[in-house]
Amino acid sequence: MSVRVLAAVAVLLIGLSLALPALATGYVVYIGNLLLVFVVLSLGLHIVIGEAGQFSLAHAAFYGIGIYTAALSSKVLGLPFLAALLAGGLLAALCGLAIGILSLRMRDIYLALSTFAFGEAMQWVFLNWTPVTGGPNGLAIPPAQVLGQPILSDKAAFPIVAGVTLVVVALVAGLHASGLGRAFRAVRESEVAAAAVGIDVRRTKLLAFTLSAFLAGAAGGLFTTFSTFIHPDSLGFQTTILVLTMIVVGGVGSVTGALGGAIVFGLVSELLRQVPSYQEMIYGGILILVMMYAPRGVFTLVGRR
Amino acid sequence: MNTEIVFLFLQQGIASGLVTGSVYALLALALVIVFRTTDVANFAEGEFYMAAAYLAFFLIALVGLPIWAAAPAMVVGIAVAAGLFQRVVLRRVAAARGVSVNLVIATLGLSYVLKGFVRATGFGDTPRSFPSVVPDGSVTLGQASLSYLDLAILGAALAVMAAFFAVFNLTRTGRAMRAVGMNRRAAQLVGINLGRTERLVWIFAGGISAVAAILIAPKLLMTAEMGGVVTLAFAAAIVGGFASLPGAVVGGFIIGIAENLVGLFVSTRAINVAPFVIIMLVLIFKPQGLFGGRLRVRKV
Repeated sequence: MSVRVLAAVAVLLIGLSLALPALATGYVVYIGNLLLVFVVLSLGLHIVIGEAGQFSLAHAAFYGIGIYTAALSSKVLGLPFLAALLAGGLLAALCGLAIGILSLRMRDIYLALSTFAFGEAMQWVFLNWTPVTGGPNGLAIPPAQVLGQPILSDKAAFPIVAGVTLVVVALVAGLHASGLGRAFRAVRESEVAAAAVGIDVRRTKLLAFTLSAFLAGAAGGLFTTFSTFIHPDSLGFQTTILVLTMIVVGGVGSVTGALGGAIVFGLVSELLRQVPSYQEMIYGGILILVMMYAPRGVFTLVGRR
Repeated sequence: MNTEIVFLFLQQGIASGLVTGSVYALLALALVIVFRTTDVANFAEGEFYMAAAYLAFFLIALVGLPIWAAAPAMVVGIAVAAGLFQRVVLRRVAAARGVSVNLVIATLGLSYVLKGFVRATGFGDTPRSFPSVVPDGSVTLGQASLSYLDLAILGAALAVMAAFFAVFNLTRTGRAMRAVGMNRRAAQLVGINLGRTERLVWIFAGGISAVAAILIAPKLLMTAEMGGVVTLAFAAAIVGGFASLPGAVVGGFIIGIAENLVGLFVSTRAINVAPFVIIMLVLIFKPQGLFGGRLRVRKV
């Protein structure tokens, strides 16, 4: 992502923070919040799949860990918003580190399946650990505390969500341009060549996995600022696939692609929510068509011309 | 729990486990033959199976075919559809950018299309039962009781496996499939038509999934989500080493028996998480599976 695009994103987000709560209805602002959470989620998945080239299908699980941790630490410990968000991110990162240590010895399909299994097992935990997560009844999320003030509406939450998202976008764009980003991509292109130029392949992969889990957890923390309820149903494989679709359609490996994919696909998914069968067919159709005709993503397709 | 009940549960668990396991074994076999020859983990496998059950249901309930005509028609239909998917979609995906991640994502796309399609027909959301051709009744083996349907499932599944193994091991076509799995370029050099062989593998995989569907459908309620059973097939394939055909079959039986024993001894809620725990444990401690042979180091 070039500096110019980043500046445009910053201007857009700051402008929306000023204008949207004043002009738009609560529902529109809610969608805005949700889209920004998806941006953070897809940037997280972008780090592990797009940059480091490792398959991870447990993203929704890390997202869920972030949501429950942030909500419970705010509810039980009374932590303020930013601390709760970081707690969610850190616990998710810790789980990501543990899973990474165990499964990053594997490649390709084995890695995909072990992370998939972890994701499904976590959803089962969310659903059955009733004393903590509320189980199938879901969990009411208390209002986030910012500077001692509770955030009670989507409109109040939007500037905060936008601010955190902007920080994340800038960090991920910086990461992409940094030496670490190049190390990630070197590992993606060839582990042997990466090792030959002195990159610690195992540590680099672990770092990508942990960072990705951290961002997913932080996205969960962001979600708790404007949402009042969470149910394990929304933390399954479907959510992982939704985020995967976003980065695949946007263009695997491109920060701008992950960002654009999240916005466009988040909107499509929200618009199609009323007709779940068509939603599934359209997701599936888009995945197949993009893989057939634009395997590097639709945004990179536009950019090259 | 006294020893007598433990013994009874053990017998029943193993007997029922062999029956459900035979269906998992079929699905795992379909996964493994595709993975071996084309390097694609078929995430649409469960939806092949789901679509097959619904196709049979539509043929019987809406078209009015008798079941003896609907069953083979459905198996052929699904096999042809799987072949078409390979011909039209996967070939194009491989040509556009031939990395296996893209192929896997294309199969994920297909799984969503099939699920959405079945739901859009309006029959997908209410669970439906499927008629059985086998008369009611049961036999007792030791202290375990199995219905005639169970026996028919086990027998038919074993017959299909035997038939496929014969094709795979004894015919020229099967030899071509094995050759492509070992070394694609070398296989092409000795005159094997890669596209045709891969298509045949997909056709076989589709057919095997369809047979699995018609066998187990009378025992289960049909919904658009029934393809979720494929996670058990993935677990079976992983237990067997993911690239080994006999491994997939043995893995299927192990998973089926483990599932039933967990249900009898632990709780039915634990059944849901058991396959994922098995997948993780096997991948962590013995990633090559029971039949994967020694771990191979890939050289550049």
